[in-house]
Amino acid sequence: MTYLADRLVKTFPGVRALDGATLRLQPGSVHALLGENGAGKSTLIKIMTGVLRPDGGRILVPRDDAGAHGKEPGPATDLVKGPSDTDAGLHEVRFSGPQDAQRAGIGVVHQERNLIPAFSVAENIALQSTPRRRGLVDRAAMRELARGCLDRLGVRLDVDRPVSALSVAQMQLVEIAKALATDSRVLLLDEPTASLTAEETEHLFGVVRRLRDEGRAVVLVSHKLEEVFAVADTVTVLRDGRSVAEAHPLADYTQEEIVNLMVGRAHAARRLDKAPVAPGTAPALRLDGVATALGHRDVSLSVRPGEILGLYGLVGAGRSELARAVLGLHPVTAGTVQVHGRPTRITSVGQALHRHRIGYVSENRKEEGVFLQQPLTRNVAVTVWNRLSRAGLIRDRDERDLLTTYQERLGIRLSGPAQLAGQLSGGNQQKISLAKWLAADCDILIIDEPTVGIDVRTKAAFHELIVHLASDGLAILLISSDLPEMVTLADRVLVMRDYRLTGEVANDTHDYDSTSRAIGHLLHAAAV
Amino acid sequence: MTTLTPPERRPRLPRLPERIAGTETTLAALAVAGYVVLAATTHGAVVSGGTLTAIFQFLAVPMVIGLSQMAVLSVGQMNLGVGVLTGFCAMVCAWLMVAAGLPAWLAVAGALLTGAAIGLVNGLLVVLTRINGFVVTLATMTIIDGLRYGVHGTATYQGYSHRLVSLGQGSVLGVPTVFLAAVAIAILVAFFFRSVPLGRRLLASGGNPLAARLSGVSNDRSLVVAHLVSGLLAGAAGVMVVALSGSVNATIGDDLLLPSFAAPIIGGVALAGGVVSVLGTCLAALIIRLVDVAQAQYSINPDWVDLIVGAVVLGAVLITQLRRPRAGGTP
Repeated sequence: MTYLADRLVKTFPGVRALDGATLRLQPGSVHALLGENGAGKSTLIKIMTGVLRPDGGRILVPRDDAGAHGKEPGPATDLVKGPSDTDAGLHEVRFSGPQDAQRAGIGVVHQERNLIPAFSVAENIALQSTPRRRGLVDRAAMRELARGCLDRLGVRLDVDRPVSALSVAQMQLVEIAKALATDSRVLLLDEPTASLTAEETEHLFGVVRRLRDEGRAVVLVSHKLEEVFAVADTVTVLRDGRSVAEAHPLADYTQEEIVNLMVGRAHAARRLDKAPVAPGTAPALRLDGVATALGHRDVSLSVRPGEILGLYGLVGAGRSELARAVLGLHPVTAGTVQVHGRPTRITSVGQALHRHRIGYVSENRKEEGVFLQQPLTRNVAVTVWNRLSRAGLIRDRDERDLLTTYQERLGIRLSGPAQLAGQLSGGNQQKISLAKWLAADCDILIIDEPTVGIDVRTKAAFHELIVHLASDGLAILLISSDLPEMVTLADRVLVMRDYRLTGEVANDTHDYDSTSRAIGHLLHAAAV
Repeated sequence: MTTLTPPERRPRLPRLPERIAGTETTLAALAVAGYVVLAATTHGAVVSGGTLTAIFQFLAVPMVIGLSQMAVLSVGQMNLGVGVLTGFCAMVCAWLMVAAGLPAWLAVAGALLTGAAIGLVNGLLVVLTRINGFVVTLATMTIIDGLRYGVHGTATYQGYSHRLVSLGQGSVLGVPTVFLAAVAIAILVAFFFRSVPLGRRLLASGGNPLAARLSGVSNDRSLVVAHLVSGLLAGAAGVMVVALSGSVNATIGDDLLLPSFAAPIIGGVALAGGVVSVLGTCLAALIIRLVDVAQAQYSINPDWVDLIVGAVVLGAVLITQLRRPRAGGTP
């Protein structure tokens, strides 16, 4: 009854997300899937659940599971089975969509909730397997099905309550019940404890153990190593798209060894020449004991002109949210924010931009960084239309001149000023997104995940650009989940976890080994 | 931890300026073709001075109404009150002259102010209550409609300023003055969206509110300004009605709502916001106008006109869709 993802390869433009990763799942076990940001965990999960298709490698499922549901999963199912295949009884499948993975018995609970808030618990659980009678929904049978699934989890919940009235932890249990309703043999839990209290986590692990004892395979993706060690039996560690530990008993490792496996020593961080910050330079932006309505507590940091301060952490740690609070999009509830030594209270982006000259290059380039349907000239000039206008009118030529300036300075490749931002490649879009802040003379830049989804060469060019900007005297707060990027660029790295800073790592030497290890320990350390 | 690098697809957006240029060319060709067919089949009746003047005289109001709707569409909103507001402003204008005895220029200013004020209220309601603009304008439309009948009843105002009427019905070098006024308004609107920072911000907010907000643009302000401009243009249309018709009653504007949508939509304006076309909107209004003319020329039963207009709207949109390069992209 083994499930096997065998030497999967998946390439995105410029990035090899998976490079021969293997995941072997045994029934009746809790399997931890670990790795740093960008190691390929999410891609692997997406392939296992039919969201993405692999470029290479195979997925093998037990034969009875593949055939038991009457319909072969996917149109291109074939029975390639080499003589050397030791996994007798396994059967290669190709998923053409999430339904196929579900039919093959693979269920998933994503980090983002996948429930319909206005539907009841029963309706959600039975969403993909709604019992019918004479063509109509059989509500009694539906409730029965939902109750059965919840009972098996040992969860007591009113199946008629709308999901919107549940707590996050309860919603998660409903999602697990939903996976049981489709009879999942494999259950993938992606960061299930990210927003749970300790008590809720303990309850969830009780459920996980129950599922294991029923003979299911539970895959647990988590960054909290202490939890992983509490509940998992076996472990697969991914690094750079490869599995560096494959279905190994977890008891053989210490937490320290796992961190070292995840971080590895594969990267020699690139070194870029950057002028050092003169000692005694006053900070451009300084936060003291800042708390926000979003839950940040006691955040203190300072970044000086000419300095790149890294802010590292996992997705959801509160880094972008902190940036947005600095920009005035979320209220700061305690502590002080100082810009060039003056205490300030910023309440709008317009104020941050025009009065304090703080710019924010968003991590969501397409959604928040550029106006896809507008010409490049307007994309660059949007922050300075007032300054650019004469007698209340903007002249096209002034906008074109502005674009030309930054096209040369940032090396933007474009076909003409009237080109739409949507027609540029990701890297060039990112430069356009950056250009509008430079046009507005920002001297403090918050750059959020600048190179996500950008190919390797453009990424290197972008890194040089960021260092140039710092050398020109800009104060840069760099938010990134890309460890090598952090080590290459940052002068110092702050680590954020659960909306608090857990420590600072000096990165003068830009040595990947020592810095990444120090960061890893700050990140995965038990209760801080 | 889901920093999965998203599969980066080459953006397959249709090239919008090109797309609009394409739409505008198609519409211009359609208008010319329609006019030629009309001229040929009516033995030149539509080429004669009187008919030609009438075509453009009665194009003015639909053009301005279309632009009024376009102003709110630019930020991704709709204004259901456009037609009723036009009628209301016409009533106010006539009432100010007839009942209050104000001079024409003051009455005109009063009507424009009324339109702008109601637009401002719409915008503020949308921003302050966060109720969808569709619902807000539906409510204010109904209220204004009630006001119209409640205050003025079924009264007809006429015999107001002869100078205003003779100006409205007159022409300069053979071109009707109301049409000239509509063209001037169209040019101003085009200028507003093209060269004025505020107008550009409306398009930024409509095209991508998230990016606009992060660029220091106030989306709330954009919404209010868009509704205000829309109201102001409806007021202008109301004044045109007063000047053109010589008498005003409470039914004016009832049939203007759907044309106000038809013109910008056929003209290539994005319903989702962010893309406008003044020329396209005006050309589309002309095409719809030609259908009316055809009805009169062919003595078609007026009961069937709506059916024909509907078919032309659908047909014109289909043709521009088909002619659009790389169709099937977003949005």
